[in-house]
Amino acid sequence: MRGNSRQVTMLAGALGLAGVAAAFFFSARERFWINWVLWFLFLLTTGLGSLFLVALEHVVGARWSVPLRRVPETLASLVLPMGAAALVALLSLGTLYPWTSAEGLRDPLVAGKAAWLNEPFFALRVAACVLLWAASYRVLAGGSRRQDRTGDPRFNRRARRFAPLFMVILGLTITVTAFDWISSLEPAWYSDIFGVYVFAGAFLAGLAATTLFALHLRGAGRLDGVGPDHLHNLGGFLFAFTVFWSYIGFAQYMLMWYANIPEEVFWYEARLEGAWGGILLALAVFHFLVPFLVLIPRAVKSDPRVLLRVSLLMLAMHWLDLYWMLFPSIGGAPVFGWPELSFALLFLSGGILWVRRIMDGGATMPVGDPFLREGLEFRL
Amino acid sequence: MKRTQEAFSVLGIFDTPDALIRAIGEVKGKTGHRLEAYTPYPVHGLDRALGYRKSPIGGMVFVMGFIGAVSALVLELWTSGWDYPLVTAGKPVLSWEAFVPILFEITVLFAALAAGLGMLLLLNRLPALRHPMLRTRSMALLTRDRFGLAVESAGEPLDTEALAALLGKAGALEIEVVEPSPARGPASPTALATGLAMILLACLAAAGTTYWGIKLFPRVIPMVHMLDQPRLDPQSGSPFFADGSGMRPPVEGTVSQGAPPYLPRSRQEAEGLVNPLPGTAAVFRRGRAAYDTHCAVCHGLLGNGEGSLTAAYGARPTRLTAGAARELSDGAIYHVIVTGKNAMPPYASDLTEDERWAAVHYVRVLERALDALDTDFQEGAR
Repeated sequence: MRGNSRQVTMLAGALGLAGVAAAFFFSARERFWINWVLWFLFLLTTGLGSLFLVALEHVVGARWSVPLRRVPETLASLVLPMGAAALVALLSLGTLYPWTSAEGLRDPLVAGKAAWLNEPFFALRVAACVLLWAASYRVLAGGSRRQDRTGDPRFNRRARRFAPLFMVILGLTITVTAFDWISSLEPAWYSDIFGVYVFAGAFLAGLAATTLFALHLRGAGRLDGVGPDHLHNLGGFLFAFTVFWSYIGFAQYMLMWYANIPEEVFWYEARLEGAWGGILLALAVFHFLVPFLVLIPRAVKSDPRVLLRVSLLMLAMHWLDLYWMLFPSIGGAPVFGWPELSFALLFLSGGILWVRRIMDGGATMPVGDPFLREGLEFRL
Repeated sequence: MKRTQEAFSVLGIFDTPDALIRAIGEVKGKTGHRLEAYTPYPVHGLDRALGYRKSPIGGMVFVMGFIGAVSALVLELWTSGWDYPLVTAGKPVLSWEAFVPILFEITVLFAALAAGLGMLLLLNRLPALRHPMLRTRSMALLTRDRFGLAVESAGEPLDTEALAALLGKAGALEIEVVEPSPARGPASPTALATGLAMILLACLAAAGTTYWGIKLFPRVIPMVHMLDQPRLDPQSGSPFFADGSGMRPPVEGTVSQGAPPYLPRSRQEAEGLVNPLPGTAAVFRRGRAAYDTHCAVCHGLLGNGEGSLTAAYGARPTRLTAGAARELSDGAIYHVIVTGKNAMPPYASDLTEDERWAAVHYVRVLERALDALDTDFQEGAR
């Protein structure tokens, strides 16, 4: 059965690959590249959110999450292939990003940002971000895997010292990523809080992916000792961060709505028009209202069936959120056709195969961590 | 008086949370009395071990949060939409976006107060200042590093020896029999007087500190954000414009919308002006709104020259409904509104052209009202 599902995933990935190749030749260049940017950002933010969850455990010295830690550690490995995908996406600059052309720079608002928005510096920033993420992954997740063999407790102290530094790194790099890859699609626009907004979505996606993957492993009997109390904490996190995401999203919207400055509101204007407004409404309902109300009762937060559905919903909504931010920049009404479907198949199956491969390469729990036992004994 | 000799509870002391939870498992079911645990900090799994039912606090918080959200919404709709509609930053009066922060904060406030106060006062019944446990030897230990399990009486007598043996078998290091609190006596007059005196003293201290604080530090402004901003005040200069003047004259050869230039130079020239508005009920209402807002403070709500400001300034505003004023033409009244007269300043910038003419109509209504004809009261009369 497991081999079977792997073959199905590979088949879907191959189908997606063929579709993506066809999209490169037969669909509009803008549409191909915007899909590419969307999907690498989707998996990248999921990986970064997971790595943040790992760092959070080290910073606060949480014990309950030790048995679950290998799950976000494994998901964080997505930053490696997605870092490569980001480097590939540099090829999209001329197609998608108006500030690369002399015509785009004629707008004085954009010309004023030319010192930041130019191709060499952009590529340098992307490369620096990818390097920093890979190095952080190596310290936090690689060190944890090494500890499986050595059982060396010094790793915990090193991780604890590195984790706050990683949070600073993530705060800066995710802001740069949000500004560069998303908001510079419409370079006249600016929003200070935009990096926080992307981070909120990323952390929620990381949490949802962690919950989903943990439920999957637990169902397969590979997370023995992880009980409803551990799940309850994941459910609580999901609940809390739906509110955080909405709070930040609304804070950004409300200030721009109040100030009504043309170079700010045009971004929302394009994203409220017609069907895009409907998508924003769907985000408000399914990214916030539904998961918020569903997760209120205590018993629900540790119910695997509900958590499974909520996690799937949150991941779908994270995709929709990115879609809503990115796609209006190429103009026109929302589109979803075979190119989008092919990208979804390719990146999702690729991501699943990659994460599974990493997970199967070792223990599903940090067996060398001295606090594992304490974590397994955690009760609410 | 036999009850006072009966024990309130039998208390066993344990030195680890694990020992406490194990002991609960052993004692539970072997006695019909209530079990209660005392710990210096929250112990995970204690509620489950004691078999507590689900706490109602979640439901209370949800209901209060909901009430908070609804009250905030009603408050905002009522104040901004009904009682005092005020256009802010050119937004519609009922803008849901502006309502959200207050809605959110008040929901959180209600929910947090319900959670905190509901838990402490309603469910935990604090402050239990006369709780029997407070008079025990063990309390000092239980607030530091020991864990207590008590078999408590809810009024029924306890078999203290058997319970002590039971707790001892469950691993208690020490046993204490807790006596009930003495019956409550009436409050003494000295205690009452002391309490009142302290409240009075606190009020005086707060008042004195506030009074002298403002006297001594009058210019300490806690937040200056909006006072200190780059803005142009009326009559002030600005280096931004070539002529150095901050206020701008209208562009040459243009007029504002709805405000054509006023040409007559004198009242005689204005005599010929004709009120362009029809005398309909809607116009009268508009005129009344303009008159009551701008004119009534001096000329009086009835046009009798007895407004609320006259007493303060000793001025003698014109009685609009009597004598010479009745003979004025519409154009002459309009001229005075636009240019002012004697102590009366021009109202051209406060009233639009339509509002001025509507106010003229309304002055005529006030005059007519003094000696109305029977036909005025007939249904459908103008």
